[in-house]
Amino acid sequence: MRTRPVRIDQVIPSIVERDAVSHHTLEAQRVLHSLGFVSEIYACNMGPGLAGRVHPLKDLPREGGEHQWVCYQASIGSPAADAIVSHPGLKLVDYHNISPSELVERWMPHLGEEVRLGRRQLAELAPIVELGFADSEFNRAELEDAGYRRTTVAPLMVDTSNFYSQPDPRVLDRLESARALGGHDWLFVGQMLPHKAHHDLIKALACARRMFDPDARLHLVGRESCPAYADALHRYVSALGLTAAVEFVGSISPGELAAYYSSADVLVCCSDHEGFCAPLLEAMHHRLPVVAYGVTAVPETVLDAGIVLPSKSPVLVATAVQRVLTDHQLRDALVRAGLERTRANSLDGARRAFAQSIEQVLQAA
Amino acid sequence: MTSGVVAEIEAEVRQLRASGRVPPGLEDELDKCFEEAAEASLAARIPVTARDSWFTGGHSIGGLASPLRLAQIRKEATVMVRRRLGPSFRRLERRASLGVAWAGEAASIQAHVTADHLERLAARSPLVCRVLSAARPGESIASGAGIVHPSIEGPLLAWVLDRLNAAVLEQAREVPGLVLHAECGDGRLVEALVARGLDARGADPRWPARTNGGTRILAAGALEYLGATVNGTLDGLLLTGVVDRLRPGAARVLVRLAARSLAPGGVVVLVSARPEAAVATDPVAADLAAGRPLHPVTWCHLLARSGLCELAVFEHDESDPDVFAVSARRVVPALLAEEGRP
Repeated sequence: MRTRPVRIDQVIPSIVERDAVSHHTLEAQRVLHSLGFVSEIYACNMGPGLAGRVHPLKDLPREGGEHQWVCYQASIGSPAADAIVSHPGLKLVDYHNISPSELVERWMPHLGEEVRLGRRQLAELAPIVELGFADSEFNRAELEDAGYRRTTVAPLMVDTSNFYSQPDPRVLDRLESARALGGHDWLFVGQMLPHKAHHDLIKALACARRMFDPDARLHLVGRESCPAYADALHRYVSALGLTAAVEFVGSISPGELAAYYSSADVLVCCSDHEGFCAPLLEAMHHRLPVVAYGVTAVPETVLDAGIVLPSKSPVLVATAVQRVLTDHQLRDALVRAGLERTRANSLDGARRAFAQSIEQVLQAA
Repeated sequence: MTSGVVAEIEAEVRQLRASGRVPPGLEDELDKCFEEAAEASLAARIPVTARDSWFTGGHSIGGLASPLRLAQIRKEATVMVRRRLGPSFRRLERRASLGVAWAGEAASIQAHVTADHLERLAARSPLVCRVLSAARPGESIASGAGIVHPSIEGPLLAWVLDRLNAAVLEQAREVPGLVLHAECGDGRLVEALVARGLDARGADPRWPARTNGGTRILAAGALEYLGATVNGTLDGLLLTGVVDRLRPGAARVLVRLAARSLAPGGVVVLVSARPEAAVATDPVAADLAAGRPLHPVTWCHLLARSGLCELAVFEHDESDPDVFAVSARRVVPALLAEEGRP
């Protein structure tokens, strides 16, 4: 059994509000505190509102030995990984997946470089990391492929403020007024990045409007993180004449997000790459049926609580959504299964799994 | 449970395709349309900015510390305003930026249209012509009639007429399609178009207005005429002369006006001298002129950026190798043109 360290610090490349990995890191800090460790977060980049809770990477103590462990939250290439490599303490990696470069570099060449760097760094860390924990089996398999000897799954600690926030009444009123005119509301929640494939959602919506539901609307919630891709989506929507049917909502508060979840009829996800996909669970919590393209970690996040499609042909997605919207028995079954899924994947459960991972390292010889 | 449902959905899709409820080519058209949007966005891509790298860990790109700070300040300010104003802030932002862009474009168009108008008025005065000629020796400011624009003959003439004629005939309207020849000179081509049964009219700032049988010619510059044209009313637009001596910035305005004047399916054809030919003929005049002809590829770029499609270039006319023609069409996506509702 190892000597218990005094502190377990976390290092993350970038930390911002309303980001799943950032929230997981903050939750992990709470868990570490509850286990009696001193724990601080160190980041290269820090978003607004986090000053005081997060420290610059340059301030990371380098005590090492039996006093200090470091846990690296890996999701992108970063100089933070170099700080981990050279750190004298015992090292842990919490892996949230790194998108393949081919999905992003057409739109963001610099991001392509960063994700390539991230995968190189992940492999470089493998021989010196004590335990790699991943938030899905899919991610764990990638860690093993990268050469990690000891791995475990510790689910993502999902931001439950999105679960329990009261819907913003103004947003809800606006959405309900639009609903009164007819048509169903599709929802997708996620940063506007190319691998999230918002364009495939728009294609599916265009098919659905043409074949089944002429007044269907699509709400795209999430920060526009790639200007060129966002611009292409705006052009695309305009070229298809869907300007009134597709809403680019942007980044919104938990209350506003709750209004969208509460007003939507279905959450549709055509993402090409997900390490976990927290919005799927959020949707299930809000009794929203899920239709998703079954790729990477999406099938294990959804399990039997949503329609997981083998391809994302626009016609197939549109038909699946139509089926969910019109087959009330199926819809009810999906909602029930979704609630069960969120209970099984609760924040408390994820906290316990993370704590157990730490205990696992302490127990190891 | 859901695997069975997915199998049923797949079977339903097969049935929909077999029954023809999925329009053939719909998915290909959607893919193509997105690729076009993607290409347009990537061509006009905003350079790598602090904002790009801020959210993605841009620390690996050197030298951005200061822009990162600026981006952070901007973000903080945006978040603060958004919290105060609620979710409508983003819509307000977008509308404001669209409004500024629209106002800028409208001002630019108005400036060029007014300049065209003033130039035509000035050309009526021999005194103004003499002053302008002395001030700008390369520019041909002439009063009265007499300038004959590049001769359009032989295969080039046939190509131009075919393009315009096809555009008008495809519209299959009960009334003849409206075709404008801007800077029509003596109006010979307008007469040829009228002889083909088209409702053609000409405009030229250097010739007096006149009506001869079915041929109507107005004394107006191309920008001036198009600036006053109701959007989406022209089935065909032929541009000559004006395209050989465009002031800087006027080419974009001309193409923008042309694109918005065309009806869906309408065609714009422009016939221009090659820039190389203008330089070879009189390098001093070409270099000192306030405006100059553009290369075919530049016209194609401008026409495509204005949303026009089906670009075609006519380059090889042995009778006059120094002249080329470019045409483009205003196309409405078939997806939108068809009745799409069950």
